[in-house]
Amino acid sequence: MRFFEKYASLIPVLLIYAILFAIGISFPGMWQPVAFIMFYITLGQAFNIFLGLTGYVDFGYVAFLALGAYGMAIAVDNLGGANLGYGIILIGLLLAILMASILSVAVGAVALRLRGAYFAIATIGVNEGFRYFVEGARLWGGSEGIIISGDMRNIFGRETANFISTFVSDILVFIIAILAAIVTILIMNRRMGYALMAVREDEDAAKVMGINVTKYKVMAFITSASFAGLIGASAWTLKMTYVFPSDVFLITYTVEAIVIVMLGGAGTLMGPIVGGLIYGILKYYLSITLPGFQLLVLAPLLIVIVVAFPDGVVGALRRRLTGNVKKYLR
Amino acid sequence: MPFFEQLAGNLVYGAILGSVYGLSTMGLSLIFGVLRIVNVGHGPFIMLGAFTAFWMFTLFGIAPVVSISVALVLGLALGFVIFFAVIRRLINAPELSTLLATFAIGIFLEEIAKFMWGPDHRGYSWDIGDIDIGITLIPYSKILAFISSIIIAYLLYMWFQKTKLGAAIRAVVEDSGGAAACGINVGRIYALSFAIGIGLTVASGVLVTLFVPVGINPYMGHEYTLKAFVIAVLGGLASPWGAFYAGFIFGLIENGSYTLLGLIPGVEPFSLTRFVAFSLLLVILLIKPTGLLGGENK
Amino acid sequence: MELLRLENVTKRFGGLVAVNKVSFTVEKGEAIGIVGPNGSGKTTLYNLINGVYFPDEGRIYFEGQDITELPTHARAPLGMARTFQIPRPFGGATTRENVAVGAMFGHAKASVDEALEIADEYLKLVGIYDKGDVEAARLTPLEKKLMEVARALAMKPKLLLLDEVMAGMNPSDIDQLIELLKRVKEEEDISIVSMVEHLMHAITKFAERVIVMHQGEKLLEGPTMEVLNHPKVVEIYLGKKVV
Repeated sequence: MRFFEKYASLIPVLLIYAILFAIGISFPGMWQPVAFIMFYITLGQAFNIFLGLTGYVDFGYVAFLALGAYGMAIAVDNLGGANLGYGIILIGLLLAILMASILSVAVGAVALRLRGAYFAIATIGVNEGFRYFVEGARLWGGSEGIIISGDMRNIFGRETANFISTFVSDILVFIIAILAAIVTILIMNRRMGYALMAVREDEDAAKVMGINVTKYKVMAFITSASFAGLIGASAWTLKMTYVFPSDVFLITYTVEAIVIVMLGGAGTLMGPIVGGLIYGILKYYLSITLPGFQLLVLAPLLIVIVVAFPDGVVGALRRRLTGNVKKYLR
Repeated sequence: MPFFEQLAGNLVYGAILGSVYGLSTMGLSLIFGVLRIVNVGHGPFIMLGAFTAFWMFTLFGIAPVVSISVALVLGLALGFVIFFAVIRRLINAPELSTLLATFAIGIFLEEIAKFMWGPDHRGYSWDIGDIDIGITLIPYSKILAFISSIIIAYLLYMWFQKTKLGAAIRAVVEDSGGAAACGINVGRIYALSFAIGIGLTVASGVLVTLFVPVGINPYMGHEYTLKAFVIAVLGGLASPWGAFYAGFIFGLIENGSYTLLGLIPGVEPFSLTRFVAFSLLLVILLIKPTGLLGGENK
Repeated sequence: MELLRLENVTKRFGGLVAVNKVSFTVEKGEAIGIVGPNGSGKTTLYNLINGVYFPDEGRIYFEGQDITELPTHARAPLGMARTFQIPRPFGGATTRENVAVGAMFGHAKASVDEALEIADEYLKLVGIYDKGDVEAARLTPLEKKLMEVARALAMKPKLLLLDEVMAGMNPSDIDQLIELLKRVKEEEDISIVSMVEHLMHAITKFAERVIVMHQGEKLLEGPTMEVLNHPKVVEIYLGKKVV
């Protein structure tokens, strides 16, 4: 009973994923928009593990996606001749996690000792600092980036390579979304979830209660960064088959992640999914009606959310719910 | 020794540029000192100042030193608008709210600029001759920027020290609760300080254009946001004067390291210099987050 | 048996000496009152014991272990708990979750399920069990204080530091709370240090020993009634200058 109560909130999440998947494969032409929306849901979920659960904002979050994208590109680029088949994608994903988490440990170990505002300041340059490093030191192809479309054709053949970039990469995003939801609820139900709640509400009091706040913040940061790495590897490198520093270090993705989490409700399980759905659909149509000016709409939207609806859709909804229904919506 | 001449020349240039860096960071520190708000969207306000200088010069032929006052007035007005529309509602909100709001405001300004003026890099040239200081030639325009920065910083300092309003702001920086108890209208001080902070930042953007010949574009602010944070943290986040001095130090470090990095074969010194700025930020935060030059002691 | 010992502890803020060469010990199972007017260094003293600040001079021992420079979060698991002068609930969480956090990370080191049970137990004890599902931010000031007491007790501490917990309560609430604290102290063998600015009446009912702080220094220490009737103490509270 207790077990069911703790994990009941996963049911609606998985249901939404299943419905989206069903729509995507059943109706012609729907796979692409579904995958588009799923990217944003997954991005939101990954970021929520840090922003939502700790109450800290990382303005350089996109750097983790970028490193994940490079991880996959480096794996494919360097091990292309090793005849590993699909194994190379697995290696790429592992490398993506590794690289994103190494950067998160490096940044987190310094910055997460600091309080909110100082942490935010420390992160504001991470993505641009890293981009300048990649370009300046001519690392990983410098500003020319890494192109893996040729490698992919050599390894898998033209048809399979095409299948990977148009379908497998999207399926991976679905899997990451499911994993992220499970990890989120696991954290929330454990000591770590309670510790992070305390950090979010009152960090000094949390310390006095015996909570090693830096440890739990770093744990959340690494988890969130690892998921970002996976997203970068799947949704960018495998899908686009190239990595350019000017594309992958773009601050826009950080803004999108923030908007999705805040719109849906920071620190809730369902929030990033609702946020991702609303945002994904909105952007899909905006990119048709207002190409290149999404941020012009996004920025004021974020201001309005922060000023008028800081709890987001799910946060506000949860306040109105009582007892039995509430356990399904977290 | 051509290398040392080059280094010396770059250091002189660094000090001149540093004065503008210092001025461009004072607004950030003032806003943090008074309102305890980190303006994460700092850079885009510099971009607005740069565009002000650009349009004033290209449309009306007005010299940048004159445009400073126009930018200041624009910035003050914009500061008041933003304060009353957004910031005022977030004074008692969690820190996350103001971080996100100022971040969004910055992006909004960039997008408006892009919408109105397009994404292209623009520039203008205000050539009024050079002075030869032996090791290098320095344009008079940059010397004027140097002098203007110092004058503005000095005037602000005097205003803080000699006027009642300046004293009220200093009181709020010390202890906003105590200031309120002494009959200071803290809400009004918040509004005024925010507006002055934004005004200074926009005004400094005018001077920035004298150092970036073709770098005026909607996204130019990012670079200055990063630099301003390095400088602000270096000077003690809550102290405008600390920030002004730290600006000089940063200008020297930046241009010195640019010269040194140029000696390493196979690297691109311009990009790496920016990486140095970022690394410096992390190092300072690690050693002493409240600033190397004193300032806030909490 | 000695539980806590402070040796010549000094803390300065800039030029101001907030706590000056203070030494005292707390025995196991003892109830101590720390009395002193506002600004006498009481809260700084708590923050030093708690690890919020580290002293500039002197040492602090807990059960014989030197904890002078131990980080804050490492002290609660040793058996230290405190309440705050102005209550600091984790506002967005429920009252039960607040208390459970204490049980999880304090000396009790409970698992999540155990902690939620312990939380219910202590919410019943302090009499706010019916508020278990309420957001802690929505509690009344009195309920917030009781929640903090429950949260501190759920940590199963050896030493409980109470900061002005009775201030602003009406006399019958104070009596109830004192009865409760006395009972818990006997049952669970907790040492309690209670800090008060006024409320001499309350402290006489509760403390076995009293320490008087004045301008950052320990002015007097001894049996409760003896100390409170001491001429120096009378002078302080009548506002006369102490020579």
